Amino acid sequence: MKSIPTRTLQIIAGVVVVVGILLLALGGILRPVIGVVMDPFIAAQRWLSDRVISVVDFFTLPRDVTNLLQRNVTLENEISSLQSQVIQLEGQLNEAKVLYALLDFARARPQNQYLASAVIGRDPSPFLHYIIIDHGSDDGIRYGMPVVTQQGLVGRVDAVTASASRVQLIADPGSVINVRMQSLKREGQLTGSITGDISLINIPQDVVVNPGEILLTSGLGGNYPPDVLIGQVTSVIKKENELFQIASVQPIVNFSTLRAVLIITNFKSIDISPLIPSPAP
Amino acid sequence: MDTLIAIPVLFLTLLIQVTAVSRLPLLHGTADLVLLTLIAWGICTKTNNAWIWALIGGLMTSFVSAVPGLAVIIPYIVVALLAQLLHGQLWQSPILAMFLITILGSFMVQLTTMVFLNSNDIPFNFALALEAIIIPSLILNLFLSLPIYLLIKDISQWVYPIIEYE
Repeated sequence: MKSIPTRTLQIIAGVVVVVGILLLALGGILRPVIGVVMDPFIAAQRWLSDRVISVVDFFTLPRDVTNLLQRNVTLENEISSLQSQVIQLEGQLNEAKVLYALLDFARARPQNQYLASAVIGRDPSPFLHYIIIDHGSDDGIRYGMPVVTQQGLVGRVDAVTASASRVQLIADPGSVINVRMQSLKREGQLTGSITGDISLINIPQDVVVNPGEILLTSGLGGNYPPDVLIGQVTSVIKKENELFQIASVQPIVNFSTLRAVLIITNFKSIDISPLIPSPAP
Repeated sequence: MDTLIAIPVLFLTLLIQVTAVSRLPLLHGTADLVLLTLIAWGICTKTNNAWIWALIGGLMTSFVSAVPGLAVIIPYIVVALLAQLLHGQLWQSPILAMFLITILGSFMVQLTTMVFLNSNDIPFNFALALEAIIIPSLILNLFLSLPIYLLIKDISQWVYPIIEYE
């Protein structure tokens, strides 16, 4: 019988041992042994890995930060652009709302012809209360045309150029308007002041004016069409030694936030000044 | 040629005045950018054209405003000449001169407007005008006088680069 070579036996023994170890390992029997052997290696590997990652980060992170910063700037620019678009759209929306309101007002009064115009400026003098609008004689605007909003009376055209006009507000100290008290059916005169406050003057002492009284244009004098809403009385000053009472008026239109107005283009103001007798010298 | 720069500068100033500054009152007073520009120009330059600037500024303002032309032009010219005069007297402290003439000029312009109102039989209460319009306008003018001065100084040095350093 031929004997098996020693070398072959060693190989067979080695394979059996390895397979045995593998089987024991797969069976979980060698887990404590493997743990004892492998744990230092794993700890060392983890330590090394951490250091390597740190070194890699050290060289690569600045580039990433630069990229992130560039990206951040790009995104911030996009946000700024979108924000400006939002503001622009909000402005257009507000303008559209104002114009829709004016359109509704114009439709409700078909007897008048209206021209919508934007408020583009104010009188430089703080004593006077005028606004400048972006339509002029080229658009058919003439001196004396009444100016309103959907809320009520604003004033009248005071000066006209080809492409712009100046409007005297009813709050101007030089403005005098003949008005009618809605419920009392009595008349008075409305005048402005340097501070923009509006007063109802020339009210006879026998008239009992209550706060809340609605004021409308009377149409007397021919400067304004009748029955345009102006405001309401807030308080009354009655002095026994005065011929007339005075009342403070809250205008229905907020003149400080005027953005668009309507000009009544088919109303022709009448100049009655030649008919008013001048005082004798 | 150097006087012509007044037209775009004052036009731009008046545009800002009418569209923005007049909409931003303090109580009922507003700043007067044209007046401040005229004062600053009179103080910053050594030329004698401040009155021409005042004339141009006054004509432009009176075209926009309901205040009659003379009621704007005359105080503007007086203030500009005053600024030019004080330029020689207080040349070492132009900012002080700017503040001083701003106070005087503001009162002068407002008083002229009140004279106009009075001559047109428009009633007003002087105490109320002082409290609600004149003093607030003066405060706003003083507040804006320094930035306007610095801006006009830059413009004057751009217009007169050689004259300023001779």
